[in-house]
Order: sequence, then C-alpha cells, then structure tokens
Amino acid sequence: MAHHIEGSRNSCALHGALQVIGAIEGAVPVIHSTAGCGMQHHLGITRLNAGNDTFGGPSVSSSNISQKHIVFGGGSRLREQLKNTVKIIQGELYVIVTGCSTEMVGDDIPAMTKEGREQDFPVIYANTPGFRGDVHQGYQLTIKALIEQLPKLGKVAEPVSDSIVNIWGIVPQQDPFWFGNLEEIGRLLETVGLKPNLLFGNGQGLAAWQQVPEAVLNLVVSVWGETPAQLLEERYGTPALVLDALPVGRASGRMLQAVTERLHLDTRRAERVIQDEENRLTNHLAALADTYYRSGFQREFALVGESAQVAGFSEFLAGTLGMIPRLLIMTDNPPDHARETLYSYVTSFVEGYGTELFFSEDHGEITDRLRSSSAELVLGSALEKEVAFEMGVPFLELSFPLVERVVLNRCTVGYRGAITLLEDVGSALLAASGHRIQEA
Amino acid sequence: MSLLKAKSSLTREKRLDTLNALQGTVDSLEREFSTKEPVKRTRTFSQSSHDDLLHALRLLASIRESVIVIHGSRGCAAAGLFYHLTVAAGCWIVTNLDERDTIMGADLKLRKAVTEAYKRYKPELIFIVATPVVAINNDDIQSVVDELHEALDVDIIPLYVTGFASHHAVTGYDIALHALLKYLGGKRSDEHQHENRINLLSVAGHNDDQREAERLLSVFGLELNTLPDGASAKTFRQAQRARLSISLDDDSSNYIGICLHDEYGVPYVEAPRPIGLGATGRWLAAAGKELGLEEAAQTFHEQECKKVKQSLGNFTLKGVRVYLGLSAATLFSVLDLVEELGGEVIGITFRYIDHRYKHRLHELALMHPALPIHVADGQPFEEVNIIKRLSPDLYLGDAAHLSQIGRLGIPVVSLEESPILGYNGLIFAARRFAAALRNRSFASAIARSPSVYQNAWLRRSANWHIKMEVK
Repeated sequence: MAHHIEGSRNSCALHGALQVIGAIEGAVPVIHSTAGCGMQHHLGITRLNAGNDTFGGPSVSSSNISQKHIVFGGGSRLREQLKNTVKIIQGELYVIVTGCSTEMVGDDIPAMTKEGREQDFPVIYANTPGFRGDVHQGYQLTIKALIEQLPKLGKVAEPVSDSIVNIWGIVPQQDPFWFGNLEEIGRLLETVGLKPNLLFGNGQGLAAWQQVPEAVLNLVVSVWGETPAQLLEERYGTPALVLDALPVGRASGRMLQAVTERLHLDTRRAERVIQDEENRLTNHLAALADTYYRSGFQREFALVGESAQVAGFSEFLAGTLGMIPRLLIMTDNPPDHARETLYSYVTSFVEGYGTELFFSEDHGEITDRLRSSSAELVLGSALEKEVAFEMGVPFLELSFPLVERVVLNRCTVGYRGAITLLEDVGSALLAASGHRIQEA
Repeated sequence: MSLLKAKSSLTREKRLDTLNALQGTVDSLEREFSTKEPVKRTRTFSQSSHDDLLHALRLLASIRESVIVIHGSRGCAAAGLFYHLTVAAGCWIVTNLDERDTIMGADLKLRKAVTEAYKRYKPELIFIVATPVVAINNDDIQSVVDELHEALDVDIIPLYVTGFASHHAVTGYDIALHALLKYLGGKRSDEHQHENRINLLSVAGHNDDQREAERLLSVFGLELNTLPDGASAKTFRQAQRARLSISLDDDSSNYIGICLHDEYGVPYVEAPRPIGLGATGRWLAAAGKELGLEEAAQTFHEQECKKVKQSLGNFTLKGVRVYLGLSAATLFSVLDLVEELGGEVIGITFRYIDHRYKHRLHELALMHPALPIHVADGQPFEEVNIIKRLSPDLYLGDAAHLSQIGRLGIPVVSLEESPILGYNGLIFAARRFAAALRNRSFASAIARSPSVYQNAWLRRSANWHIKMEVK
C-alpha cells in the first residue's frame, strides 16, 4: 500500500505523460480529466524548470469534465474534444491521456481512440491516472503506448542505412538538463559512427519515433529506461546496453568502449575519441587546481536527486574531483531489484569510507537526514536549499525542482557535462567563501 | 440561515451567476446581466485551467503554522511544490491514494497522515483538502475531522473542493474562506465590542501589494488584521471584532467580507481595487468614510498624488492601444488606469464575470458600447484568435499563458507576480509598461516560433466553440 508523502517531487503518471509528449515535436496531448490536472503540471513542474514551457503556458487541450460527466460518463465529451483538438491545434500525433476522475468513471478510452482513427486522426492513448503511480510510471506508460500503437497508425518509416541507437531513461523535465543531456550523449555516439535517436527535444518528432524499431541498440541510462528496452527486445529483438548511471566524465569513455565492443565498431577510432576528450577534461582540471586547493574543494558532500543522477554525479565528484560522498539520497523510488546494484556502485568510490545511501522522496525525511549528515556541501533540488542554509553550507540546485536557475541546453552528462559540473559546483563553493561586499 | 452553518460554500455559479464563456461586446454582456438570469455556456473545445482545488491550495499556502494534508492521488499535490517554493515554505502532505484506495476508500490513510503530521510538526492548524478522487468516492472526511480533533487537540479544517463541481476556480477561495471562518471565526460575542482594528482582506496577493495597502491604511492610525494572506488562527479569531473589513480584491475576498458582515456584523467596505491614482483615492476614501476619517484620507491621497506625478514625469500611454486579460476586479481598475495614463483599451478578456459587476458594465456600455468583450478562464486559443485580429500595442494580463500572446509579437506585461497596488504599485507598473513599449525585440524574436494553432482556427470566429449549456 502506498504511503503518504510529505513534499513529493515526483508528481503523477499523467504529468509524466505530459512531459514525454511535450518533448516530442508535433505531438499534442489531449487530457481527459478535470480542468486542474494540466494546470497542476504547469505550476508544479514546468514553472519549476524555467525554460521548459513547450506549449506557452498550461494551455493544453483538456476535456475539463464537470459534474455531469462524473455522473453520466465523459465519453461523448472526449469525442467532441478530440475532434476539435485536431481542428484547432497543429500536430502530427495526438495522444489522449487520462486523469484519475475519468478512469474512476470508467470512460472507454480505447474505443474513443479507435473511433478517432477511423476518421483518420493520428491518435493514440495512454491510461495515466495519478493513482497508478508517479512521473516515472507516466514516462514508461506513455513510451509503451507509443511503441505499441504507432505502428497502428499505418505510416511506414523511411528505410535507414545508419546504425541507430535509441536512448532511454532520461525523463524530460524530471531531469532539468534532459535537453542538453540527450544532445551530449548523442554527440558522443556520433563520434564513434553511430546515429543517435534522441527521441526528445529539438527536431525529434514522429519520424524519430517511427525509427525506434530499426535501432541496432537500446542504450539505457537509468532504471526508467529498462521497461522500454525490454519491450523493444521482446517485440523487435533489439539488444540493450544498460549503464550503471548517467555517464559523467570518464564514465563517458567507458560508455563508448562498451558500445564499441557490443556493436563491433572500430576500436581504434573510439580510443582516439576518448583520448581527445580526456585530454580536454584533464587540461581543465589542471587549470582549476590552484582554485581547487585554495578554496578547499575536497568537501564531504550530500547529494539529493534521481538515482541515475546521484550515481553519475557522485561517481565523477568522488572518482575524478576527489570529493567525499557523505550522504546520497535517491528520490525516484527505483524498483527493489535496482537498489542493491545502486548501493554497491555508489559505495565503491572511496574505499573504506562509509558513504550513506538512502531512498526517499519524503521531504521531511530527506531534511532530517541532511541535517544530521554533517555534510559540508549540499547538492540537490530547490527543496534542499532551506536545510543547507540552516546547516550553513554551500548549496547548488542540481536536480528537480529548480527555482533559482534557468536551464536551456546546459548539460550534466558526458565530457561536456563534467566540465559544466565543475563550473557549477566550483562556483557554488566560491560564492560561499568569496569576499563579502562591505555593508555601508 | 447563517452562511457558515452549511458544510461548504455555494459555487460561484449558484451564488453570483458567474459566467466564464462568452464573446461579444460590452452592451451585449450588459444586457445579459441586466434583463434576466444570464445564460450559462460551455465549450466544445477547452484547454486546462485552474480549478477550485488549486485556488484552495494557493490560499492555504500563506496560512501560518499550518500543515496541509491533500487527500488524493499524488499529482494533486504538484502545485503544492510550486506554492511551497514560491509562496511560503509550509508543510504539505499527500495521502498518495493508489488504485486500491480508489475502490476501498482510504479513511485509515488519512487518519495516519494527519496524526503523523501533528506529531511531527505540532502545527496550530491542519487542513484536509479533498480532491476529485475522494469527491467521486464520497470518502467520509468529516468523521476523521471530528474524531481526530478530539484525540489530538488541534484545529482540523476540512475543505470540500472537488475539481469538477464548479466551473469557476475562484469557488476554491470561497470554500477555503468558508472553512477557515466556520472553524476559527468563533461564536458571535453578545457584547459586540469593536476594537480599533481593520480587517484587510488580501487573498493570494503580492507581498509588496500587501505592504503598500498597509502603508495606505496606516493613515487612519488603526491596527490592521490582515487575512487570509499571512494569517494565523488568531487572525481569524479576532476578525469579528474589527471596525470594518476592506478588501484588496473583491473578486477573491468578497465571500469572507460578506460572511464577516452577515455573521458578525462587521461592515464590509466595497471599493474598486486600488490600482491607479483614481481608484486608489476612491478605495482610501471609502475606508475613510466608514471610519469618519475622510479628511485624513484626502490629505494623504493628495500628497501621494504629487509624488507619483513627479515620479511618472511625462510617461504616457497616449496613442497606445491596450488589450486587457484579467479577473474582473483587477480589470476594471486597470482599465481606469490605462485611461488615466492616456491609453485606449481596445479589447477585454475577463477571467469570469458575475452580477456584482452589473453597474460597472452599465457605465462601460455608456462609454464604449461596442468594445469587444471575451470571458474565458485560461482559454488562450480564443484569446489568440481575438488578439491576432485586434493587434494591440500592449497586452496586460495575469494568466499563465502570456507567452502565447508574446508569440504573436505583441509586447506583454505580466501582472501575475508583480506589484501594482496603490501609489508605489503604479510607479512600478508604469516602468514596466514603458520598458515593454520602448523595446519590443523579445516579442519579435519569439514571434518567429511556429504557431500552436491551425490557420483554419485562427480564421474562424472566436466564439465558435462556445455553446448554450444543455440542461
């Protein structure tokens, strides 16, 4: 039985669905629920991700059902809404997503979708009531709907000659850096001769999604990418490569090696690329060294965020930057089978040091853990700012939700992301120790 | 019957004949309200908008020493995250109902959440906020309230919002205010003694606006009891002994003003929102009149006017065609302000409108009978359609969809999170207006982004999807 939560940052399945659809060019969500569901998403997620407002506000097509639809059913209202959405909103693909109320009433969404398709509307559906889970379930449910229902729309993807790799596991907006992160992973895959299928972001529309079955590999960068990869393996026999964490810094080199090995690519080419990238990173590290020593970068840090972020960032901060991971909190409720792997991964960075790892999305519990952690630096979401202030330690917003940062295409993965992290973490440390402007 | 005896407040459509779907001219809207009960309309296409749950959460976010327990599935707490990070860092909890709970009910879960919240935070107040799921299931919140109130010795206040029973999100403010007064207002004391205190009614206002209103009222030398923004349980308990209530925004706080009057005999001063010199003067004068301190109000107003005029210099909106998209109380005052500054209002979107504005509509109809009017809460597909035709020089609005207006290449000033009240608010707003008109490069830059809407829609009449409601 699901437990109550204080200050949740994982919203609900419907919101996860909206995030997926909003990140696909030409995809239009059609919410079948009460009026406030779309607005909850706008306030609680989009506004806490400055620079992520695809639709220009909360103006998502929504059936806004009222009392009479609760009593008599909302099917006819959805029929009307869908027909008019196609006429009003530009799009290549319309996705009906449901909220709690219409699921409880029992409206027949598949039948409505079928009716729409019979009128040649390019429409699919996903049942995404909030009582079925959080934003990560919404991500998985919607991707499943896309994979299973897109072939029914009858359009055939253009044949491809490149070796396509789909990237799974980055939840748009829930990872505030999703846009830049996908582009950086894509850039790295291109360096070894692959064609990345980012699926979300700039230029990523229906055509990209229709190419999904053509891929030679599914690259999984968080536990949330496992379900889509499994589904594709069952349906199309595409193999998957599962990473331990978001690849940050040298882990990106290991990712390229693994991909190269798995797909029997040119090893020498990969090694050359890795060498170039590592040199660049090393030069930056060396150039930072004076500031690093002077400002005492080797702090014991606490890090709060999604499992793949926490694992990836802390691997870089501990494994390359020499910082000490005191307390790690993963907020995305990874499934039980993944927890042990994550635990042994993140406790391996600094041998003999007892890094603590907790899984929690409860703001009260997270705050208590941080307060008693004696960490010297807090990296987390805007929710952790208050306790960091109380602890009197430097703080950096690095996971969802964000309040004081605008993120557009900044990334936190790959080699470029490692350098960005250096800049951001370093700036947070300097800002906290820098000279104070004398008060008049 | 006493209003507060009821379990919850009436919806706005029942109480005030509120409309949120209409398009026409000022005189057609005036006729709608003057001759008969206005005809309710619905849309055959709609976009998401606020609901009563969201407004209730926004209001509660600013109540001190309180814990909010949202009884529903997890997404209903998403906005709580936003309010927690931008309004006040209170504590909010969601009972996180899963599929089984939606079938079996979840009283136990609610009990547990409330009890644990109490033990951990020892708040003065615990709010239980209903959601669509529990409203559909008809979960018995009241028995949990009664039982735990006894057991825990804390005020537990239920808010019966539904997300679907009213078409007007603003009903959520009424539901919250009803609950707060019902549980905290206390019995009307027999020897009704007025203390030297004014109830300043401010709902979901900007901090700077609240400070400005307090500065204005300080001219009367009375203590202020500001509620519900920043209020504690005590603020509500002592509200009944105030000399009068005056509101900063009659749209959002009219219900509490009426309840305080009907239930406890506190006079409610109805005055336009103090936006712009004229309306601010009238607002202050209305309070002064009720208190017998007209002269103090007048003197202060004159002093401040001088300062404002000096600060505005030669700023003018002369020759500027302005479109307004605001809630009615704000809109009428901003309309006066634009005209004060020499500008011309060429079109209006009211978020909603009701029979309280009959008189203002009548006045407006005498001046500008053919002024285009649109009534919609968060339906930018219609607004974009209208505005594209009218092509105003400046858009002033408070909705969350302003970027869609901006994408038409039109300069936009948001009044959503920006101070505007009183003399200082005017100075601040005028600078924003001036900047928006002086440099339009951002609007031109985003105007290149592709339209969300089909061209066929933009050529259609904007009221195409507004239909008479079938009963």
